[in-house]
Amino acid sequence: MSAHGRQTGPVEADPVEKYIADLTAVLHGPARAKARMIEEIRDGLTETVAAHIHGGSTSTRAADDAVREFGTPEEVAPGCQRELTIAQARHTAWAVALTAPFLTACWYLTSSTASGQDGLMPRAAQLLATQLATVVGAIALLAAAALAVTGTLARRLPTPPRLPLAIAWAGTTAGVAMGVATLTLTVASLLATDWPLVALAGAFAAVSHAVVAPSARACRRCARLVRVL
Amino acid sequence: MRADRVRGHLDGLLMAVLEQGPLHGYAIITAVQQRSGGVLDLRTGTIYPALNKLERLGLLTSSWESVGERRRRSYRLTDAGRRSLAEERTAWREFTVAIGSVLNPGAEPRSAI
Repeated sequence: MSAHGRQTGPVEADPVEKYIADLTAVLHGPARAKARMIEEIRDGLTETVAAHIHGGSTSTRAADDAVREFGTPEEVAPGCQRELTIAQARHTAWAVALTAPFLTACWYLTSSTASGQDGLMPRAAQLLATQLATVVGAIALLAAAALAVTGTLARRLPTPPRLPLAIAWAGTTAGVAMGVATLTLTVASLLATDWPLVALAGAFAAVSHAVVAPSARACRRCARLVRVL
Repeated sequence: MRADRVRGHLDGLLMAVLEQGPLHGYAIITAVQQRSGGVLDLRTGTIYPALNKLERLGLLTSSWESVGERRRRSYRLTDAGRRSLAEERTAWREFTVAIGSVLNPGAEPRSAI
């Protein structure tokens, strides 16, 4: 860099890399979507630098100009975060929409088997599992609607700005319901006569909770960021 | 031209430059600048989320292509994108005629509906 007549110390970062690092630090969303967006932006900056060098700029000047033309991270981040937040909301909605029907079916199977065979599962656990299945089922319908609204339907209908937050809290509720179901079914499996079936349903509830809860937490964070940036 | 004046039309501009064939991000920006004679000076970074959105809506598709040691993402207009672009053009024509009629009342009158 000193060859271009500019004082640079060993700690001074390449403007492009510093820009990418700054943007990477403020953006949050699904890992794959974020990595793709950052890679594209890095590619765009690299192409811009190359075009400036081709036009006669020094590499240092070209990098500075490319970063300036790109817009500051404060200017670029809100648009990127909006897309990443919608991507995260869709991720959460998919997680709920895919796990909820299986979980609901599992609970109803356990309950119906229990009603046919006396003592398979405690009555209180059956009632709780049914209530939780209803809650998660309703949230799954909401998740499916959110997927449609943020997908091709968005060509005709504007996406409600608070939808990601609504999905985040719906996912959180589903995650809590799945956690409570895991606990309930685990305890019930200890008391039930046909414990393997109840334990299997409990294991499925635990897996569903492990998938949905972190996604909902990430969605809450993204939804907050959209309002802050 | 100020970037905020372009914002509401960014989707249409991006789809218009992709009408002739697939382009990657930097080529899209260059095409917009060239077609506008340098008047539309977009903040380069703002087009990437816009391209992501258009792809999510099914108006564009994208694929990675290798250029030397690097990879870059190339965008292509879909059939739905072409229909949407046609609608954007119609809406823009109606808008400019209406605004023109107000700003230049002595000019050629707008045809009766």
